[in-house]
Amino acid sequence: MKENLIQLITAFLGALGFALLFGLHRRHLLFAALGGMLTWGIYLLIHSFLQSPFLANLAASVFAVSLAEALAHWRKCPATLFVVPAIIPLVPGSSLYYAMSFAVQNDMSAANTYGHQMLIAALAIAAGISFVTVCRELHTTRK
Amino acid sequence: MTPELTKTEQAELVSCLLDMGQMLLDCGAEISRVEDTLTRMAKAYGCIRAEVFVITSIISLSMEFREEEALTETRRIYSSTGTDFTRLEELNHISRSCCQSPLPVPLLKKSLQQVSSESRPFSSLLAGSILAAGGFAVFFGGSLWDGLAAAAFAIGICLLQKKLGETQISPVGMNLLISLLAGLSVGLVCLAVPALHMDKILIGDIMLLIPGLAITNAVRNMLGGKTISGLVRLTESLIWAAALAGGFMTSILIIDLLL
Repeated sequence: MKENLIQLITAFLGALGFALLFGLHRRHLLFAALGGMLTWGIYLLIHSFLQSPFLANLAASVFAVSLAEALAHWRKCPATLFVVPAIIPLVPGSSLYYAMSFAVQNDMSAANTYGHQMLIAALAIAAGISFVTVCRELHTTRK
Repeated sequence: MTPELTKTEQAELVSCLLDMGQMLLDCGAEISRVEDTLTRMAKAYGCIRAEVFVITSIISLSMEFREEEALTETRRIYSSTGTDFTRLEELNHISRSCCQSPLPVPLLKKSLQQVSSESRPFSSLLAGSILAAGGFAVFFGGSLWDGLAAAAFAIGICLLQKKLGETQISPVGMNLLISLLAGLSVGLVCLAVPALHMDKILIGDIMLLIPGLAITNAVRNMLGGKTISGLVRLTESLIWAAALAGGFMTSILIIDLLL
């Protein structure tokens, strides 16, 4: 539980950091950072029920993009502004690092495991984004 | 209500819109947003037909004001000045207000120039790097000290990025160099201070360098039917990621040999 709490707080800080890094305007910062934190909350929730990193990443990225679209609609600005900070906690930085590190140490089976984890996360995020995109396209009619 | 434009104004408008497209691409807009914005702007200024084609390295804009009278210009885009969401928002705002009631062309030119002259303070870049690297080092299981160390190294990375950005170095070379230097210095510090975890600190700093936005945008571009741009950007970012991995792997290898 304590670990989860620490992760939620640091996801907030990390998302805030990226929002700053990408020059998001001050008035949106809080919402962008909350988006990152909530997205990670969804990931933890789904992961604790289903034990599947793929489904957890998928659900979290669907949530992140939907939330970003909603925020963008409410605050009248492009959705990209909120998509990036929200998705950031899902980016598989640690699997990438361990895959590289084990590959260098010539431990190929461990490198493979982490490489797989990374690919699965990337795929799930992409699938989540496309799911929301399709839903939005169905919703908006051609002008 | 659309304004009647003179010939010179028409020519000026074309170059204005190209400026706008270039700035949009630069500050991190998706391809489809650039194409949409330019098409809408052209229509708002009374074009009967506007053909816009944007990929990451070129913008081509053709505007037909009267039958069989088209103005076409292309703009080659070389390098990006870096993502800036505040600028993206301002440009979006200009486009929205122009689509409601078009600004006179000289005024449009002026407001675009104003947007391009405002540059982002370096302090927000620095603060962002520190927060992101420190936060993610702890997020992925590091201790508080690992987070602080990652934040300290993030300052170095940020300064290095700024310095290298002023040279002619390619993005691939830049990523290779920065990751090699970051890996080596983190490794050496961790050898001196055994309480720190090299892996966690590096993961925090890797998050800064991973072209996460570029990959996300590439996927979104491809899903939106902008396959060429998506592929270009995806390939580009995968090559950058490979350069990153190369730099870090070399540094880990060197540190392992020292042990």
